[in-house]
Amino acid sequence: MTESGTLVANPDAANADERFVAPDLVARDPAGKPRLIGGRCRACAQLSFPRAAVCPGCFSEDIDAVYLAEEGTLYSYSVVHQAPKGWAVPYALGYVDLADEVRVLAHLDVPADKLAIAMTMRLGIGVVGADASGAPLLSYTFTSA
Amino acid sequence: MRDVCVIGTGMIPFGKYPDKTLAEIGWPAVKEAIVESGVPHNEIDAVYCGSALGGMLSGQRVMKALGLTGMPIINVENACSSSSSALAQAWTAVASGQHDIVLVVGVEKLTKFGGGTLPLEKEDWEVNQGMVMPALYAMRAQRYMYEYGLTARQLGEVSVKAHDHGALNPNAQIRKRVTIDEVMASRPVADPFTLWHCCPTGDGAAALVIASGDIARKHKSDPVRIAASEVTSGLYTNGYRDMTWAELTARGAKGAYDMAGIGPDDVDVAEIHDAFTIAELMYYEAFGFCERGHAYDLLSSGATSLGGDICVNPSGGLLSRGHPVGATGAAQAVEIVRQLEGRAGAHQVKDATVGIAHATGGGIAGLDHGVCSIHIFVR
Repeated sequence: MTESGTLVANPDAANADERFVAPDLVARDPAGKPRLIGGRCRACAQLSFPRAAVCPGCFSEDIDAVYLAEEGTLYSYSVVHQAPKGWAVPYALGYVDLADEVRVLAHLDVPADKLAIAMTMRLGIGVVGADASGAPLLSYTFTSA
Repeated sequence: MRDVCVIGTGMIPFGKYPDKTLAEIGWPAVKEAIVESGVPHNEIDAVYCGSALGGMLSGQRVMKALGLTGMPIINVENACSSSSSALAQAWTAVASGQHDIVLVVGVEKLTKFGGGTLPLEKEDWEVNQGMVMPALYAMRAQRYMYEYGLTARQLGEVSVKAHDHGALNPNAQIRKRVTIDEVMASRPVADPFTLWHCCPTGDGAAALVIASGDIARKHKSDPVRIAASEVTSGLYTNGYRDMTWAELTARGAKGAYDMAGIGPDDVDVAEIHDAFTIAELMYYEAFGFCERGHAYDLLSSGATSLGGDICVNPSGGLLSRGHPVGATGAAQAVEIVRQLEGRAGAHQVKDATVGIAHATGGGIAGLDHGVCSIHIFVR
């Protein structure tokens, strides 16, 4: 298991073979598990997600890419029925509060009738829509832990 | 700082005008405001135009239709608060003595996007992950319901009230009453919101002429004064945030109350930013009209309906009057001025002397909202 806060070896080459909505936000760790990639300021240790280019806490531009926590708590959610083209409606969106005090907006891979505020969530990867050619688009998702 | 007063108002009925240009939507409101003010055209020192999605030089496109050009025309984009931010800039220009008479216009044409949810900035990482405005407010609603035991049906009563008011307003986009059963049975948008929990998209324009107090009193015997003009932005964090508390609006409200020297008990009428039903309830609390968690009690008491002690959104609000994004702030200001002047017609709030206009919004990751603009008017 890779601890949260572990440095990401090569964040820019993490998802070369798959079509991700935002390939810089998620990668598989050395054990093959999906992980969110955040930033940690070398000067003041503030965490950011997405990884910041400049630290909003201290202006430092030395921000390491680090793995964020794999689990969190569902703060709130909504099942979205009307959305721009490309999204597979209906889809569930939620804010997941990670253990390292970062809040992440994510697609939730949980049946609508099983969603509940305060449930424990675990990071995964799933299909969330399609690109203009109809090819599936992946993103990080959260499922019930 | 000098006193600043409103001497002219104009607006067109909000609705869908797909065959009109932005300029064609905008100029009738500007013309009405200038004619009402009685100010000679060449005495308008500057124009501040708010539009979120109107494109380059919106103000010039509107003003040239009336042949009024040459003065500084400043275009202001600030999402849902575009024209209220324009009003704040205009207020500053007059209060500081830079200008004596300034025109403010808000204009928007959303029908050019063909319907659906508001187009948001794809560079925003949450938008890129599928965030839409209804979902953001819906998550606030879900959390509020979780913490305070509010039901979706209770939430829907906000929409019933809004449409009761809007049905009386000839400038409202939706002049139709709805029942709570119709609200609950309409198509789902983002749970717990059905269609009637959401403001419609549409087109519109509204305008005001404002002037320094001494000049205003030459044109009107008892003009409405702008007692507070406040613009604030949301606080950034990528950490946890209490989504049941409208921190940005509460902060702006405190600033506005302090500037006007009043408190929530003094307010007779308010046009507040009910883009979605939950927003109105959360803003009751942020403005101090009630304690936290008690917004539904205030709604169900009738206090915020026409005839109540603190009438909220007599125009029908965003839910019924409509929300052509950049035009909303100016329309709210026009509504409040006309209320305080006692000429709001069928939806007049009796004996109103203190009113608030509140426009906030802009979906942006990490902020409560992008911007909040509050004006307090007194007569």
